[in-house]
Amino acid sequence: MNYPTIFSITEDEIDLNDLLAKITLTSTGAAAIFTGMVRGETVRGEAHQTDYLEYEAYIPMAEAKMKQVADEIRMKWSVIEGIAIVQRIGKLYPKTPTVLIACTAAHRDTGVFEAARYGIDRLKEIVPIWKKEVSLDGQFWVEGDYTPKPGE
Amino acid sequence: MNHVKLLFFATLRERAGTKVMELDIPDDLTIQGLKERLASDNPNLKESLKSVLITINREYAFDEAVVPLNAEIGMFPPVSGG
Repeated sequence: MNYPTIFSITEDEIDLNDLLAKITLTSTGAAAIFTGMVRGETVRGEAHQTDYLEYEAYIPMAEAKMKQVADEIRMKWSVIEGIAIVQRIGKLYPKTPTVLIACTAAHRDTGVFEAARYGIDRLKEIVPIWKKEVSLDGQFWVEGDYTPKPGE
Repeated sequence: MNHVKLLFFATLRERAGTKVMELDIPDDLTIQGLKERLASDNPNLKESLKSVLITINREYAFDEAVVPLNAEIGMFPPVSGG
């Protein structure tokens, strides 16, 4: 079966409707969509304000790793129909969507929610993208805490 | 000699002061050996190299790997996309 898989790093606005249309088949009845946005005000942990985030990526490798994440999703949930994984990079301000993971399936009880959750979790582990947080207090690079293993 | 291209990202890019560096290295040099050479050539990088992630031709690579001919090597901190 030839199901649509979309993966990209972009500087453009993320167009949810367009992406959703591209991963919706005639057999599709459910989509789980995760999107993350720049949080201007953080209260959990160390409370702080954020002016903007500046993202960069190792683009060709990031796109290859997004494809790998999509392949892993299909291995775990074979009923998934379409997958879209998109990360926006550049300077992004509060309330702006920065990332989107969407999975489609025939029905909602097929693992489609878990598949989208897995997608964003894996993106944060192995896809080479970084963000610098900028605020009145200064700027610092946000660093993850995952070390990829051989074969990842 | 092996001519390789290093790509730096995020904190590593800022500390190296460049995005790209081309380097001639011995044919049997490992990733560990490459890190040691970079740390001595560029003391600014020393601290960052302790927790650096390394890729060879866009796949994650580890200290004992020998750097292949004309490799593209990526160096960066743990990723933080999303």
